[in-house]
Amino acid sequence: MSAAAIPSCQIIEAHAPTLISNILTLAWRELRDALRARSFLLYSLAFLALGLGVSYVSAAGTGSLGLSGFGRTTAGLINIVLLVVPLMALTTGASAIASDRERGMLLFLLAQPVSRLEVVLGKFLGLSGALIACITLGLGACSLVLAWQGGATEPRTMLWLAGLSVLLALSMLSVGMLISALARKASVAVGTGVFLWLALVFVTDLGLMAGTLALRLPVKTLFLLTLSNPLQAFKMWALHSIDASIDVLGPAGLYAMDTYHDALPWMFGASMAAWIVLPLVAAALIFRTRSPV
Amino acid sequence: MIRIDHLTMKFGKFTAAADISLSLARGESLALWGSNGAGKTTIIRCVLGLLSFQGTIRVGGRDVARDGKRARSLIGYVPQELAFYDDLRVWEAITLFARLKNVARVDLDATLDHVGIPDQGGKRIRELSGGMKQRLALAIALLGDPPLLVLDEVTASLDVCGRAELVALLGRLSGQGRSLLFASHRADEVTSLAQRVLMLEKGKVTAEVPVSQFVARLGAGSVLHLHMPAPSRPVAIQLLRDHGFAPTLNGVGILVPVPATQKAVPLRLLAEARLSVDDFELLSPRDANLSQENHA
Amino acid sequence: MNANRSNLAPRVAILAVSCLVGLCPTTASAQDSMQAPNEKSAGVHDSAGVEINAGTIGRLIKAAKPGDIVHVPAGVYREHIRIDKPLSLIAEGRVVIDGMSSGDIVEIAAPNVTLRGFVVRDTGIDLDKENAAIRVLADHTVIENNTLEDILFGIDLKQAPDAVVRGNFIGGKDLDIARRGDGLRLWRSDRVLIENNTIHDGRDAILWYSQNVTVRNNTSRRCRYGFHLMYSDDVVMENNELTHNSVGIYLMYSKVVTIRGNRLLANRGPSGYGIGLKEADQFSISDNLIAGNRAGIYLDGSPFTKLKPGDISRNTIACNDVGLTFLPSVKGNVIAANNFVDNIEQVCVSGRGELTGNDFAADERGNFWTDYAGYDANADGIGDFAHESVTLFENLLDREPKLRILLFSPAQQAIEFVGRAIPAIRPEPKFFDPSPLTRPVPVATNAGAAPSRLSLAICGLGLASIASLVYVSSRAFAHTTRRKGVVA
Repeated sequence: MSAAAIPSCQIIEAHAPTLISNILTLAWRELRDALRARSFLLYSLAFLALGLGVSYVSAAGTGSLGLSGFGRTTAGLINIVLLVVPLMALTTGASAIASDRERGMLLFLLAQPVSRLEVVLGKFLGLSGALIACITLGLGACSLVLAWQGGATEPRTMLWLAGLSVLLALSMLSVGMLISALARKASVAVGTGVFLWLALVFVTDLGLMAGTLALRLPVKTLFLLTLSNPLQAFKMWALHSIDASIDVLGPAGLYAMDTYHDALPWMFGASMAAWIVLPLVAAALIFRTRSPV
Repeated sequence: MIRIDHLTMKFGKFTAAADISLSLARGESLALWGSNGAGKTTIIRCVLGLLSFQGTIRVGGRDVARDGKRARSLIGYVPQELAFYDDLRVWEAITLFARLKNVARVDLDATLDHVGIPDQGGKRIRELSGGMKQRLALAIALLGDPPLLVLDEVTASLDVCGRAELVALLGRLSGQGRSLLFASHRADEVTSLAQRVLMLEKGKVTAEVPVSQFVARLGAGSVLHLHMPAPSRPVAIQLLRDHGFAPTLNGVGILVPVPATQKAVPLRLLAEARLSVDDFELLSPRDANLSQENHA
Repeated sequence: MNANRSNLAPRVAILAVSCLVGLCPTTASAQDSMQAPNEKSAGVHDSAGVEINAGTIGRLIKAAKPGDIVHVPAGVYREHIRIDKPLSLIAEGRVVIDGMSSGDIVEIAAPNVTLRGFVVRDTGIDLDKENAAIRVLADHTVIENNTLEDILFGIDLKQAPDAVVRGNFIGGKDLDIARRGDGLRLWRSDRVLIENNTIHDGRDAILWYSQNVTVRNNTSRRCRYGFHLMYSDDVVMENNELTHNSVGIYLMYSKVVTIRGNRLLANRGPSGYGIGLKEADQFSISDNLIAGNRAGIYLDGSPFTKLKPGDISRNTIACNDVGLTFLPSVKGNVIAANNFVDNIEQVCVSGRGELTGNDFAADERGNFWTDYAGYDANADGIGDFAHESVTLFENLLDREPKLRILLFSPAQQAIEFVGRAIPAIRPEPKFFDPSPLTRPVPVATNAGAAPSRLSLAICGLGLASIASLVYVSSRAFAHTTRRKGVVA
């Protein structure tokens, strides 16, 4: 928007400052900023590039044979989502409140007739919008590449993947905002976000691996521990939605199929919903009592 | 408009405000006076509901702690320095706050004209000078025409020129039936804007006085003895009175009691009025009395 | 059978049966007319669904002479039948033999019997007594174009050599897998031809001690074992489609078996395989499409002897959880000219061990691997570097299958990366293909249609449009609140 885009019309209309309208207003500003932020652009490009790479490379393998089903493409895309989306969402969330606080913007914002709940929800909503844009753009482009390559991926798979990626992004955003509400400095918040990302992506899984090998964890424990990690819940839900089964995940997957049957998608959903709602509620409660400076 | 009862606010062991009570009537203008760390900003942030505190604060009858959002809807706030998303354009910032303040219609050009920054609507906030930013902050504070303006050292980061202009602008605005609560450590601002002054020191109220007694109360400082040509002395005395000082004539010049932090202010005021000062000396109150008696 | 007769015969039969049921207590006159298919008769109303008293077919059989062709008119017959003389029993129209949930239904106790076109339904559910729809106890039987519904065991050949089982449709009872019976069973029945049958929702189709059997063009789905060979040698299995069973084909203790051109898809039982071999010998597995199974091919102690190397060639083994699973001691297989396409784990040695006793190439031509990382500079279709599988994570999976729950996680990549980066913990290569192919081998088995590219493209555009919608809305939000109005 250049200076010339300033309208000759000078009248600005606004709505009643209900909870919803304030949230929308704040979300709009957050979204506007996020979509222009350099870091966000970088993440989007990285996601796009990796996704396109996976789509391009793996479509070449199966396309010629006309095989469909769970293949390397889907596995690769799940991998990319698991790697990029949590990082993007965690760091975005972590800087959301802390950097405003650090720069004194929060003070000015909270001196206006807005409640803190509105600020938290507005930020969450706006950043969600930005993350959704990034994910749908990335996976949409991947679908186009796959279609062009004649790849063996069903549209349904891509839609599920996109929807579940959004849920994953929301849960990580929520955790990021909790970090942000707690942290005093933006740099500390983002650092904590990155650390948590490492933990969720690598450390917990490696720990589970070691635990399984060393302690001979029973399948039930292994499954429930895995389920409690939102990344793994996303992964299992994605597999389940594509294949109607997670038996591809070996004995623990079979155990889950046999034990929980139709309840499985609900369990995945519950795990992810908990990861979205609980940190956000905690963030809102903490933010309510914290000084804005 | 504001009623504060027994406000106490602590940061850990440090007491930023101790048992402060005050009230501000509609249309009245109250200055919070004190040096840095006296508790001015703390009181303002408590009024805005930004900090949690003991005691009660009501704005327009609304409890700030419990009903902060509605209380704040009566307040236009200007901070010491506008720290806001400086990537926003001016019109976008105005739009954003108009929405948050439930302002149905805003005439953008008139709004900017009003605070003396016409034609800046398309600029990004970061492209504005310090003075323009403060004017934008003022424009935002005035959105929705709130009955109470709360200003926190609004001129502190401005140069002399910008400061004078802003103070003049605020003077015009305060005359329109708005209540004004502002923090300052500049006597000239206090005298030109306030009707009453709450004098603070280390979080405590040391005095609450009408502005007419304000400068006299400052007398604990020293006395500036100005030597200047006789013809300009009456004008000078009038000017200094206008700015809250209490000058007196003696044989060779003018004696002005000045607070410890404002010793050069009379000099500046006179210089700005193009009244020449030949010489000056700084006397202790006792010496000043002696000199007065001698001349008598 | 010509068309003329098949049109006429039901009416004749109905007339006869009407006589039987309503008019004449004795069957003699009716028998005559039944056995005179060309005899003309006045038209009778179509009577599908007419229920006929028990014992009717039994009486027809009793009255027939050996070698007779007995046409059974349309209707529902609630009875159990024993055929004790060489006869052709032909259903005219829809003939239902209903076992009323008890016992066996049809028992063939004489050689040279043909049973064609019947609907046989509702056996008992006694597993100990092996209640079967059709039990054959003699040789040279032809069981053709019958539909078996709601049955415990379907067709049970006991010492019934030289039989033909063709074009039957066999559907099991809706029971827990442990309480089901076998859709098809051969017991010591040599030289049997099994073709064009469809078996679903049964337990197994199983061959016990039956030699020289041909199994072709059959379909099996949702059973336990699609086809199971126990001690059955010289068997050819061709062009069958075995999907969604626990196991597609399981060879146990059988030799000289050819498995060719079959489609083995999505056989995913808890220990499910496309093809499983246990102590099988002199086998050849070629030109099959083996996709989406838990394990494509599972090898346990096969080949059992050194008489002939196990031949696994020109198969497309794709998108299975594991392409090939070997038990550690397996050796003597030649695995060449197969396509290993995107199996989550291409080759697995269950437990630990190595595959040095097996060759992954024949005549200097190996297999096509989608995970081959080398290149082919001289474009001769053979990669310039050997393909060897060294992956630390798979190594862990082979040791502890429970870890599969962490598949597709970035942690998996981390492990692989570490495995590649630190030679000290790099596992030994599991296997070694000296001359990997760089282009897929054409396999005749049709792979089925890929999903539509158009719908995928539309899906992509749809997703991307959500992104642009978000972007546009972020810009439009402020603008929507402005309106033309006063200009200051």
